[in-house]
Amino acid sequence: MGPILSMSDVVFRFFEQGKRNVLDHVSLEIEGGGRITLLMGGSGCGKSTLAAVAAGLYPENGGFLEGGTIKLGGIPVAELAPSRRAAFLTEMFQNPDLQFCMDTLRGEMRFCMENIGVPPSEMDGRIRRAAEEMGVAPLLDRPLYTLSGGEKQRSTLACLFVMESRCLLLDEPFANIDRAAAARIVRLLHRVRDGGRSIIVVDHQLDLWLDAADEIIILGEGARVLQRGITRENIGQYVRLFDEQGLFFPEAEEAKTASTRRFSHHRGEDGKPAVQFEGLSVPQGTPGRRGFLGGHTPSGEWLLRDADASFPAGRMTAVLGPSGSGKTTTFLAALSQHPYEGTIRVLGTDIRRMRRRELYRRVGIVFQNPANQFITQNVAEEVRESLRVWEKGLMAAECEARAEEQLEAFGLRPYRRFSPYMLSQGQQRRLAVLSVLAGGQRVLFLDEPTYGQDRRSTDSIMEALRRKVSEEGLTVIFITHDRRLVRAWADKAYLLEDKKLMEAAP
Amino acid sequence: MSGLKLERLNPSVKAATVLTCVVLLSFQYLITLNLAVFIAALLLLMFFSEARWGRLAALLVPALIGAFGLFLMGLYYARAPGDLPAGNDAVLPGLAHVTLMPYAVRAALSRNLTAALQLATRLLAYAGLGLLFSLSTRGEDFVLSLMHQCRLPPKFAYGILAAFNLMPNMARELRNVRTAFAVRNIHAGIFSLKPAFTMLVNSVRWSEAIAMAMESRGFDGSGAGRTYYTVPSVRWYDVAFALACAGLILCGMAFLT
Repeated sequence: MGPILSMSDVVFRFFEQGKRNVLDHVSLEIEGGGRITLLMGGSGCGKSTLAAVAAGLYPENGGFLEGGTIKLGGIPVAELAPSRRAAFLTEMFQNPDLQFCMDTLRGEMRFCMENIGVPPSEMDGRIRRAAEEMGVAPLLDRPLYTLSGGEKQRSTLACLFVMESRCLLLDEPFANIDRAAAARIVRLLHRVRDGGRSIIVVDHQLDLWLDAADEIIILGEGARVLQRGITRENIGQYVRLFDEQGLFFPEAEEAKTASTRRFSHHRGEDGKPAVQFEGLSVPQGTPGRRGFLGGHTPSGEWLLRDADASFPAGRMTAVLGPSGSGKTTTFLAALSQHPYEGTIRVLGTDIRRMRRRELYRRVGIVFQNPANQFITQNVAEEVRESLRVWEKGLMAAECEARAEEQLEAFGLRPYRRFSPYMLSQGQQRRLAVLSVLAGGQRVLFLDEPTYGQDRRSTDSIMEALRRKVSEEGLTVIFITHDRRLVRAWADKAYLLEDKKLMEAAP
Repeated sequence: MSGLKLERLNPSVKAATVLTCVVLLSFQYLITLNLAVFIAALLLLMFFSEARWGRLAALLVPALIGAFGLFLMGLYYARAPGDLPAGNDAVLPGLAHVTLMPYAVRAALSRNLTAALQLATRLLAYAGLGLLFSLSTRGEDFVLSLMHQCRLPPKFAYGILAAFNLMPNMARELRNVRTAFAVRNIHAGIFSLKPAFTMLVNSVRWSEAIAMAMESRGFDGSGAGRTYYTVPSVRWYDVAFALACAGLILCGMAFLT
């Protein structure tokens, strides 16, 4: 069987006049027929762009292709209309919320088959088979927006499956979902492969794919191929390459743990609890939305029942738990943004006795999607504005100087004239940390601070936090579903599961 | 009974029928006919559609408030030329005792009552017709029908559907942005545009992402080579419904005067 995808000497950039090529003379061939190929590369190396160019989505939807040829099954991709292209290759994207056109999975699968001209009489049979094979039969008629992230990604996979294209291209499919859901999708992909179709995955979570992948390819700067033919058997000899590219290597974590533990020395005030839960119960409900008359109408379901916990000051504490277990909602309760029963104390004071402004002066939160938090169109202005929010009479010069200093410390000074939306995800998170802590907050909540990040970016976020903890005595509480992150960085850990909050080994 | 549901009517024909009725009603001033149309629409919705009564009631509240407002306005201001200004004491100083009567009663005794009722009931009739369409039609069916019966290009049809189905996500996003702002001590009132702006910046990127996802699943917007699982069609009962509605209103206009 010939190559399903072949790219030779492809040069691509987003702006025709731009200097930097996102894809810089990339040549890559992927064989067809029942194989899983994993493409790895550091954040920002152009691997997602490579996927979109291979699928023919760029330059059609933006960007400039300077040269090179891209062929799907031997036919130049530019000569294939999208409906014919789908017979060779379909793509699954990172964000599970942004992949559907219709309101239910059944409707979406019909839409997919209509696109490629499947006769209507065959559609029901194909939907039934795909739903059975991918285990999505119970989801077929539920509104898509009510599904969890993992269910949405499985639905997307079922859509690609029902189109019967020869190659599935997955661009960081697990960035927004937990491990159990991801492992389930990997098992489904085994079956797709055994059915004779090719799968190309762009990801940096190697441990999920190590058993499944037939070949691992490492991409460097400009998405150029650095190394091919890595498999489970010979991966040992590429430890250095992984390290140079800032990628997670399955065994690299152990050394990391030892080095960071030594780094954490504590100051005087630590050990005392910064945040305490006493008999805390948190009901399910829409965060941030209150009932008609200001009261809350609990739906009867509890996310957390009667929990006691204490988060020590000047330390980093992790809260683990599967997606949807209520980790985020619990911390919204600690910010008076969600109803709760029981007592929550912040720095010794019951938060029911604090005014909102006092509470937010002590506690800040960085959300999973930091783009939600930005209030200005400029990185430096973002920090200055948040300094001004907390200190009304601040002099312009002083404000400027402090913002500069903080940006410098977080490695964001070169980007100070950028729009926050132009930064990478990792940079956005660091900027969010800065602007959230502008009021001198002593406690910081972070919701999934490193999801979708490679090792280098993860380290730079966590190191910046660690510095704040050890130098300024900041208390950090981070929510995650990544056990490795907990082992490497947390001084203490809690596990939220089955409505209980239990202390766990970090 | 299920054969007689409004949901089974072709959405494009239903929309055209409702529009025709609205235009016809705008040529007349019959309070009885307006009320008859309003009540007929409600009865049809209650007994010949799957619309929930609670939803119907909730949507009627603003219509009733609007109608009442229009009624009061008509009563006070919409006078026929030559009418005595009922409440203007400065003009009629000799009739000081009349002011002992409440203003509303005096106004009600005037000829304005008819004009006010005409306005208010017309609004109710329009509201009834609008609800008749919107509560018995799924957005998706309407868009698909527009594509097949009114030649709306698939590119727009599916674009509208994708945007429509993104709404719950946008609402959730807006709540998240509001929470984020509150915690940063930035006060954004209910009508503040700041959170909406942040959300819209994000949703521009979303629309690009969705367009690319659709394209990667073979959607090219042209409609060439495309098959359709169901093609909405116009049947005899659609035509009968349209003719019956228009005919009944025309009859009403002829005989209710």
